[in-house]
Amino acid sequence: MLHVFTLFLAVVLALPLVAEAQKPIKVGMPMPLSGPPALFGEPASKGAQMFVEELNAKGGVLGRKVELLVRDSKADANEAVRVARELILKENVDFLVGTLTSAEGPAVSVVAKENKIVFIAPIPKTDQLTAPDKLHPYVFRVAATTTMEGRSAAEIVAKWPVTKVATISFDYAYGQDVTKAFIEHLKKIKPSVEIVDQQWPKLGEQDYNPFINAQMAKKPEAIFSSIWGGFFVTYSKQAKALGVFDAIKYNFIGVGEAATPETTKSMGADYPVGIWGNSYDAFYWGETAAHRDYTARLSKYLKDEYPSSWAVQGYIGMQFLTEAIKKANSADSDKVAKALLGLTVETPVGPLTIREKDHQANRGQLYGKTVKDPKYPFAIMKPVTYVDPSKFMD
Amino acid sequence: MPDASFVFAQSLSGLTAAMFLFLIASGLSLIFGVLRVLNFAHGTFYMLGAYLAYQSMLWLGPGPGRFWLAALGAALGIALLGGVVERVLFRHLYGKEELYQLLFTYALGLILSDAAKIFWGTQQKSVSRPPELSGSFTLFGATIPQYNLFIIMLGPAIALAFWFVLQRTRAGRFIRAAALDRETLGALGVNVDRLYTGVFMLASFLGGLGGALISPMRATTPGMDTEVIVEAFVVVVIGGLGSLWGTFLGAVVYGQVLSFGILFFPRFSIFAVFALMAAVLIIRPWGLLGRPLR
Repeated sequence: MLHVFTLFLAVVLALPLVAEAQKPIKVGMPMPLSGPPALFGEPASKGAQMFVEELNAKGGVLGRKVELLVRDSKADANEAVRVARELILKENVDFLVGTLTSAEGPAVSVVAKENKIVFIAPIPKTDQLTAPDKLHPYVFRVAATTTMEGRSAAEIVAKWPVTKVATISFDYAYGQDVTKAFIEHLKKIKPSVEIVDQQWPKLGEQDYNPFINAQMAKKPEAIFSSIWGGFFVTYSKQAKALGVFDAIKYNFIGVGEAATPETTKSMGADYPVGIWGNSYDAFYWGETAAHRDYTARLSKYLKDEYPSSWAVQGYIGMQFLTEAIKKANSADSDKVAKALLGLTVETPVGPLTIREKDHQANRGQLYGKTVKDPKYPFAIMKPVTYVDPSKFMD
Repeated sequence: MPDASFVFAQSLSGLTAAMFLFLIASGLSLIFGVLRVLNFAHGTFYMLGAYLAYQSMLWLGPGPGRFWLAALGAALGIALLGGVVERVLFRHLYGKEELYQLLFTYALGLILSDAAKIFWGTQQKSVSRPPELSGSFTLFGATIPQYNLFIIMLGPAIALAFWFVLQRTRAGRFIRAAALDRETLGALGVNVDRLYTGVFMLASFLGGLGGALISPMRATTPGMDTEVIVEAFVVVVIGGLGSLWGTFLGAVVYGQVLSFGILFFPRFSIFAVFALMAAVLIIRPWGLLGRPLR
């Protein structure tokens, strides 16, 4: 009897040790899962989830499983901060990967700094997140920035036979910053360009008719828009009805992911086919075997023939984190933060590197002119080009 | 000074926006006028109308006439939903404190919009303009989409029909009487409960119709309900809660202020609308055409 008891005691005492070794690495993900931004937040969290499941199936990292805890940040900076704090204090997460809007990102970055926890932002674009005065050892970004996006668009528009350019963007941080980057870079590489009109509807505007009329009265030859996501559907439906795209001969570029498969798919025949747009990913890109393989797995995981272009951002965020843990051979935030500096990872969109000087990855985006393709019931970008921002990140 | 064709185009866009808002705000105003409940869930009925129109279009497939069938079906569906909601839930609200009513209808809106997310997900949905009205024409140098013109004409038509029903029919007399004195009307042998259900269904029908008709112009997404309810609320406050023509006037003013506001305050046109609302609240708290509450 005593024998059994001793054995039992030994097991009980040893349990915590075993548990310690196999304790999962916890990653907290504040992400908008409700309201319109859930359009992107939800698939981004699914991409991260797929990565984690695949990783754990192969035994995890450093022999430990990874556990992803996704929480709704409601696309609100205060809520994102609250959720991030809760994840750190209550759930004892080791790292944070997440946030979507340019309001949430910088807010959560402060929490990461206070708690000395590595935070990787997969989607927020505002330059402020990694600006010299806001940068700290624990914040990293694998999203594009407003500078990179605006300049990429300027590189494209500079090649068009136009000089009178107009812009339409939401009147808040992202819209202002990306428009400014676009105009400055465009004027630098093509000084003959004249900005004839700028419209600033409020974020989430539903009626663009007055803005469109006012803009077209200035007779632009090309239009730059950063009306993003579902709002682009509303904008382009109204612009098309008013004949905007025909009037400017489709010299239109929509950043803010206006050419994602999600958007063209939801609009079908109503999409203004012929305009230029961008996207983080496109299932039909298939440039490399790695991308084709990723798309096939994602398609199966999401049970969607045309899987989301946002999942890749959650995926890449988690990829960088686990590669850094491997490189550091530790799940300690200080060591992982050091390992992230200069780290290059083979992602589904190709090799990406986080720069040492500003903790920013050279994440470019796909750009292309939209065309009809008989293979799909919606428009695609063709040819679709990955614009590498490395040349103009500074 | 902007040229005439631009001013014309701008006033027409303002009018289109106004007539959409009138469709939605008239239901809000009607419910408040008769039932004395400020229905914050009205915006959600509008959103559900848009989703139902999208769903009906999926079932019907594209083709001539299909959109109108879908829009009507969606509006009827929302009217039915409104009937159920009134019978089962709103019934308990009448005569309660306004704060409870507000909290209740707000919560109802949240619940219904989350339910919509279960059915239709978070991805934006889009309905095409009906093929009959997908073109546009040029008038005085302004491009006018046919669909916008249809909306501009539909608004006054609905207002007139409304006015006719309220002023010239037996049901309309009961509705006006119920707005004034529910108890006396009941004592006279009128089934007030049924009347309330009918009014609520009519208001829901208008909300649903507004959502269905707006779907070819906008993306249908979660969150469109909270946007519209604020706008509709501003309209009825400017025009006068419970007043049909007040709501109409409020919508027209709202649309024009927004449209022309961007010429004078390009980045603050929304401010102009709220400033107008504040001015109305200070000078005529009961709205332009409303009557002071007893």
